[in-house]
Amino acid sequence: MNEITSQTPALQLSDVSKSFGPIDVLQGLNLDIRPGERHAVIGPNGAGKSTLFNLISGMFAPSSGDIRLEGNSIGGLSPHLINRAGLARSFQITNIFHRMTVFENLRIGVMARHQVRYGLFRSAAGMRRVNDETADVLNRVGLEARAQSMAGDLTYSEQRALEIGMTLTTGADVILLDEPTAGMSREETAKAAELIRKVTEGKTLLMVEHDMSVVFSLCDRVSVLVYGRILATDTPERISANREVQEAYLGQEGAQ
Amino acid sequence: MTSIQKILLALLLVLLIAVPPFLGLGWQNALINVLISSLFALAFNLLNGQAGLLSFGHAAYFGVGAFAALHLMIAVEDGLFFPTPLLPLAGGLAGLVVGVVAGYFSTMRSGVYFALVTLAIAELFHSLAPHLEGTFGGEAGVSSMRMPWMGLGFGTIIEVYYLTLGWVVLCGLALWAYTRTPFGRLTLALRDNEQRVKFLGYNAHYAKVIVFAVSAMMTGVAGALLAISNETANYSLFSGSVSAQVVLQTFVGGSTVFFGPVIGATVFTLFSFLISDLTRSWLFYQGLIFVLVMLYAPTGIGGVIGHHIRNRRQLDLAKIGGPYLVALGGGILIAAGTVFLTESAEVLFGQDYAMARDGASGGFPAYDLFGLSWSPLNPVTWLVPLVLLCGGVFILIRARRVIDRLWARKDEATTADMTVGAGGKE
Repeated sequence: MNEITSQTPALQLSDVSKSFGPIDVLQGLNLDIRPGERHAVIGPNGAGKSTLFNLISGMFAPSSGDIRLEGNSIGGLSPHLINRAGLARSFQITNIFHRMTVFENLRIGVMARHQVRYGLFRSAAGMRRVNDETADVLNRVGLEARAQSMAGDLTYSEQRALEIGMTLTTGADVILLDEPTAGMSREETAKAAELIRKVTEGKTLLMVEHDMSVVFSLCDRVSVLVYGRILATDTPERISANREVQEAYLGQEGAQ
Repeated sequence: MTSIQKILLALLLVLLIAVPPFLGLGWQNALINVLISSLFALAFNLLNGQAGLLSFGHAAYFGVGAFAALHLMIAVEDGLFFPTPLLPLAGGLAGLVVGVVAGYFSTMRSGVYFALVTLAIAELFHSLAPHLEGTFGGEAGVSSMRMPWMGLGFGTIIEVYYLTLGWVVLCGLALWAYTRTPFGRLTLALRDNEQRVKFLGYNAHYAKVIVFAVSAMMTGVAGALLAISNETANYSLFSGSVSAQVVLQTFVGGSTVFFGPVIGATVFTLFSFLISDLTRSWLFYQGLIFVLVMLYAPTGIGGVIGHHIRNRRQLDLAKIGGPYLVALGGGILIAAGTVFLTESAEVLFGQDYAMARDGASGGFPAYDLFGLSWSPLNPVTWLVPLVLLCGGVFILIRARRVIDRLWARKDEATTADMTVGAGGKE
């Protein structure tokens, strides 16, 4: 890691802790995400992966420690400010606008990017650039045929694609994906991984992922989170060879 | 909007412009109230139907708008130059200002907590107003007079009617246009999923304050129109029943359809205009209508109409029309039975009847209802409503079975259509 210390990390967590009452979920966590890398966080259930994402994206404030996005401290800011600073996240449980069309789901984010957040004196249909860009995202996630469908009527894997699409709309450079392939069949998972690879080209990606095949095919580095601490951070190959990791996590899966 | 909807709306507008001069004063006044409550319900439903924020305290902004307009009218009486037709601006401005402040606090929370805070704010106005002589005129309220402007006297009801119509159409169109703006689309997103809106870079609280303020502003305009029409207002405008009325009207009319609240406001306002002189039980009937609509047509009248319009192609109107008429007949029988029982109860438990019983030394003398004389001890008196109710229920159930079957057939037809569509034959 020494060769890149001169470069500002895309995302840097220094000594970040979070406790809910007496329970310490994260304890003195350190993590550097390099610009442009695809980075996975793996770990057993209850290791604190969701809490980690919630701290970075502003759902909760950290109890202590510092979170920096491209050098700027974002720890404890509200979600909308973190988003405007250039970080967008998806959700493990599909978090879309069910009673709006797919197109409109995506357009809400594109509107935010084009600073027409609270426009009251123009027509939504007449915003050429916003609508063009929405159509572009729609194509990139492969939902152009479902543009006018209600988001709530989509199939599960279509909703997951929409979920990723919405994360892209605000133009963030750092993307957090929370278990993007959860609940998918093998075939759907492979398609989703391909989609993620395509749409995060040139961006920094941090993802929670259980499917090791996705992690291996997609990610440059992996961090293993166990009981609120980072056990190891390395390339997928070296992580899978790491004895400590095998005992803590991969061993359990391998035994199944 | 489709062209058919545009034509229908234009036709409605022509009727609203052309017909009232030929109506009596009572009807003109009733139509003014229909228009005002329509705007009130539309403004309320901006918050409820589109942002998903159910306010139980919209009387606050309605009342504030009314008092603001009255104070401006008093100033005009005292010599201030201000065109009478623009008086509702005062109500809108007052509603906007109070709405920003009230909205800031109430939209910190959503759901039940939001509803309770709005309720509390309205109650605050309701309990403070009688004590504030200067602003709300104490218990007597504030009164003023419409002053003439540019040759328009505003002395007749028809002039007030046209003023109201103009403002209601203007504000209604503005509210409709609102739904087409970027912020209008964001409002729907807030209703669906506030959390995601935050994570897409929006300050959700800020956005909710704006929606609340716009809703309060339009509500204030409606309040001002009422003040202009009545030339007086007192603290009872802030009462819970005013807040509740707009909720009932909106839900009966249909909160999921843009013009639904107008239907509800029209039905309820005309209902009270036509029925409140005939029976003291009209509030009971109104509550009954609300309960029945919520139980059997939760999307409201507008929702039911919308459902039929959406499915008009698949529905065999010629076939379904007959069963609908039969069901209507059943409904009328049930209504007749219910009205008979309600009115009888009102008579029998009333003071007049107690006196009549005293006169008949404790017996049960006959009473007059619907132009006939009924004896409480005669079985026929109770057989009549019983037969009406049972017959109505029987007919309604039978008709409903047929209607359900026809709708089910339509669903099958739709599925078949989709299969054909998928096969590329469409």
